[in-house]
Amino acid sequence: METFDLIVVGAGIVGLSTAWRARKAGARVLVLDKGATAYEASSRATGLLSLCGASPLEAPLAQEAEKLWDRLDEDLGYPTEWSQKGRLWVAITPAELDELKVTFQTFQRTYDDFELVDAQTCRSIVPPLTPDTLGGLYTRRSGNANPQRTSQAFAWAFQDLGGEIREHTPVLEILAEGGKVKGVRTPQGEVHAASVVVCAGAHAAPLLAPLGLEFPVAPVRFDAFVTTPLPPLFEAALVVHGLAVRQTLRGNIHLNGGPHEWVEAGVANDMPKPVTPLVRNIAKRLIEVFPSLRSAQMLRSWSGILDVTPDQATVVHPFDTPSGLIACSSAGHGFGMAPSLSVALSDLALHGKTDMPVAALTLDRFGKLPKDWRRAWNWQAGNYNT
Amino acid sequence: MSDQIPLRVTVIGASDAGCAIALKAQAAGHRVTLVDEHPQTMGQMSFDAPWFYGAALPAALMNANAVAQVVLEANPGIFACSEAGVDVRVGTIAWGAFQNGPNSRHIGVPKVGLVSAEGNELLDHDVLILAPGVRDFVPSFRGADLPGVFGVKAGVAFLDLYQCYEGKRTLVLGTSSRAVDFVRRAIARGVEIVGMVEPGTAFAAGDAARDEMAALGVPVHYASALLAAEGKVAVTAARICDLSGGAEMAVDCDSLCLAIGVLPNIEIPAAMGCRMRFDAGVGSWLPKTDAAGRTSLENVFWLSSFANGGADPKVVLEAMAEGGAMGDVQPAPQAASDQGAYLRSWIDALYASGGGAVTLCKCESVTRDDFLGLAPPTYLHGGLRHPQSPVTGPEGTGPRVHQDLLKRMTRVGMGHCQGKRCRDEAALLLSLRFGIGLEAIRPGSYRFPVRPVDLSLIATAEPAGLRWSYWLHDPEPVLE
Ligand SMILES: Cc1cc2nc3c(=O)[nH]c(=O)nc-3n(C[C@H](O)[C@H](O)[C@H](O)COP(=O)(O)OP(=O)(O)OC[C@H]3O[C@@H](n4cnc5c(N)ncnc54)[C@H](O)[C@@H]3O)c2cc1C
Repeated sequence: METFDLIVVGAGIVGLSTAWRARKAGARVLVLDKGATAYEASSRATGLLSLCGASPLEAPLAQEAEKLWDRLDEDLGYPTEWSQKGRLWVAITPAELDELKVTFQTFQRTYDDFELVDAQTCRSIVPPLTPDTLGGLYTRRSGNANPQRTSQAFAWAFQDLGGEIREHTPVLEILAEGGKVKGVRTPQGEVHAASVVVCAGAHAAPLLAPLGLEFPVAPVRFDAFVTTPLPPLFEAALVVHGLAVRQTLRGNIHLNGGPHEWVEAGVANDMPKPVTPLVRNIAKRLIEVFPSLRSAQMLRSWSGILDVTPDQATVVHPFDTPSGLIACSSAGHGFGMAPSLSVALSDLALHGKTDMPVAALTLDRFGKLPKDWRRAWNWQAGNYNT
Repeated sequence: MSDQIPLRVTVIGASDAGCAIALKAQAAGHRVTLVDEHPQTMGQMSFDAPWFYGAALPAALMNANAVAQVVLEANPGIFACSEAGVDVRVGTIAWGAFQNGPNSRHIGVPKVGLVSAEGNELLDHDVLILAPGVRDFVPSFRGADLPGVFGVKAGVAFLDLYQCYEGKRTLVLGTSSRAVDFVRRAIARGVEIVGMVEPGTAFAAGDAARDEMAALGVPVHYASALLAAEGKVAVTAARICDLSGGAEMAVDCDSLCLAIGVLPNIEIPAAMGCRMRFDAGVGSWLPKTDAAGRTSLENVFWLSSFANGGADPKVVLEAMAEGGAMGDVQPAPQAASDQGAYLRSWIDALYASGGGAVTLCKCESVTRDDFLGLAPPTYLHGGLRHPQSPVTGPEGTGPRVHQDLLKRMTRVGMGHCQGKRCRDEAALLLSLRFGIGLEAIRPGSYRFPVRPVDLSLIATAEPAGLRWSYWLHDPEPVLE
């Protein structure tokens, strides 16, 4: 029987970064994925680090992530394209400006280095913004990176230390015995470990359910695209007009937005991720924001599925029974959070405790969540979030 | 479905198979729309998909109206469809196709996204027939980006479709039947064919074709490969080398036709999620189809001379009326072609003689070596701490190489042609270098739009009343 110290279920950015940290700490770690490395949400993300300023619960973890991002290229040995060139929220309609003022107030509860800026300042930070720009909210903090490169950098750094990633090996069942986690079952047989960390993104809930564990996440699918490469236009990570936008170092404008469709995941099923004609509407909004992009082209669109928690904040939950089992959901912003989230997960798996600020992020906060929350909130598969 | 006549039938591609089924379906009383991207705007032609026009677009193409007229006259199939009352949309790109399925349930009636110089629309259909023809196989070599280098489909289009061929002395790569066809057409238009290059020792299209070429006075360079297209601003010569001894010679020419092979356009069925299979004979992934051209998706057909002999239109028509998708158990059809081995022999020869420093991906300027070594693009000014291999899996569990990994890390196939020029050579290089069968190399994903589309043309106002919240959802107040 193969035995490891730690089995990580899922080779997305959260699983890979956790595995790398645990391996660095000397543990024998196996990563299993039903598909290839970083083929799901982690390679489909836009690449912004959310400072989670509106969520006092997880902002401390985001701040830790921000620090770790700064040295990630060096730590991993592979480029992530991280650039800390600030974040800008922009309003181009009066309603958006009102919303922005509210956002500013909530952010102020967490951070003191955010400022409301006028249209001219917005356009000096992001010159191609429409003349209709009304104002913005800006911080020099935070930035963006390339999600595909970053996920792969974690994978390579893990493998450089002798870690093993087994692709196309679905975990069909989590095994527990005598109140303790024992390992996992795959089509090739059982693999045992003292700890199992579930970083299975959208699939976490059905994987945990057979153990009688309820993991409240709802998977959602939505669209994204990139344009043909353009000359360098701006460096800040941008949230504007219902879109999240960055320009890649290569020059492509990379964005997501639009209504999100709730979907359903199985234990380890392959989930189709078709794009929808909504990309046409995203394109419309993009040229409303950047009129000069009219003559650029939509080059490639895709959609991704991510896991959303009831309060849209990260979950890090070490179960009491079976002990040794930890589950995580990064609630739609796991790309930016992975550097610190992985420290917490690795610490908890290897030592049962962590200095990372995750104590408030367990499932305990959902004690009052109705059992049929997805139905009650209209978050059931097939519904749009509108 | 048979009681639902007339069916709304959208045919994509005015290929022979596309025109034939469009005519047949229209005659049977269905409402047929036939879509073809040609004539392309010069902007679209510059993206080199599906045909590789290369860097020299003849000035004659600037006159869009004249071009449109010429193109319509040159395709009797389109003309016949038009006469028969088919709604013919030329100069129109089918950039995507959408239908309800798992994780996407808001499409309603299946639709195709169409875009032309006038704008875009979503067209509903009951039956979708994909007959999008072929694209040029574009191998890499030094000087491949010089004006005067083009693919065989583009060459035939310059000669006969657009009638603006500018070469006077053309060297042809390959001795396939495509190459022979090109030579015949070129000579008929007064072009001098200065030679054909063949890495093997036999004429690929057979002895009769060999004799015909000899009678036309076309020299064939056997056991040879192309080292470089040469010239300062356009092709003035081609340097070829003898594969056995390495002797080099320059061939005086002003144009170079890449006629090694053509591959089926599979991006629409692949991006739609049709089940695919690797066809070693063709040297390409193809959608799985039955004899009537049904794919694994309901009411979606794929017709290609590479797969189902273009399927008899009568059979397709009956299958359309019946509806449904292909059954699960289908014998894999016999390989209809030995092109796969021929493409491989060419890439083997070009790689062996040209080496690793040749640019493989023209859009993103990435060399063969940088591709195979997973090197980050040069603008990142950095390398990998440790060498990495693209081979990620052992034999048995799944694909051993994922071309998407190489795409993401090296950007090969991420540029404006979306890998239409380089993806097949890239897979062959991986196969040759790492000794892995092509069927164990998962090809890079195809994505909509299947051609780059101007944002101004595709931009569409969202439906009134749609709430567009940024990011996910307003947090719910239910937790106290
Ligand atoms: C379009 C889009 C844009 C986004 N933009 C951003 C952004 O700008 N910033 C940000 O922070 N976040 C963003 N996100 C969210 C971010 O991508 C995710 O939160 C993050 O990638 C989650 O990482 P993960 O490792 O948990 O999940 P995933 O990357 O989904 O990885 C989970 C892995 O688990 C595997 N798996 C599941 N079940 C099993 C099983 N039973 N057995 C074996 N393997 C299994 C899956 O195959 C998968 O590889 C975006 C997401 C999308 C889709």
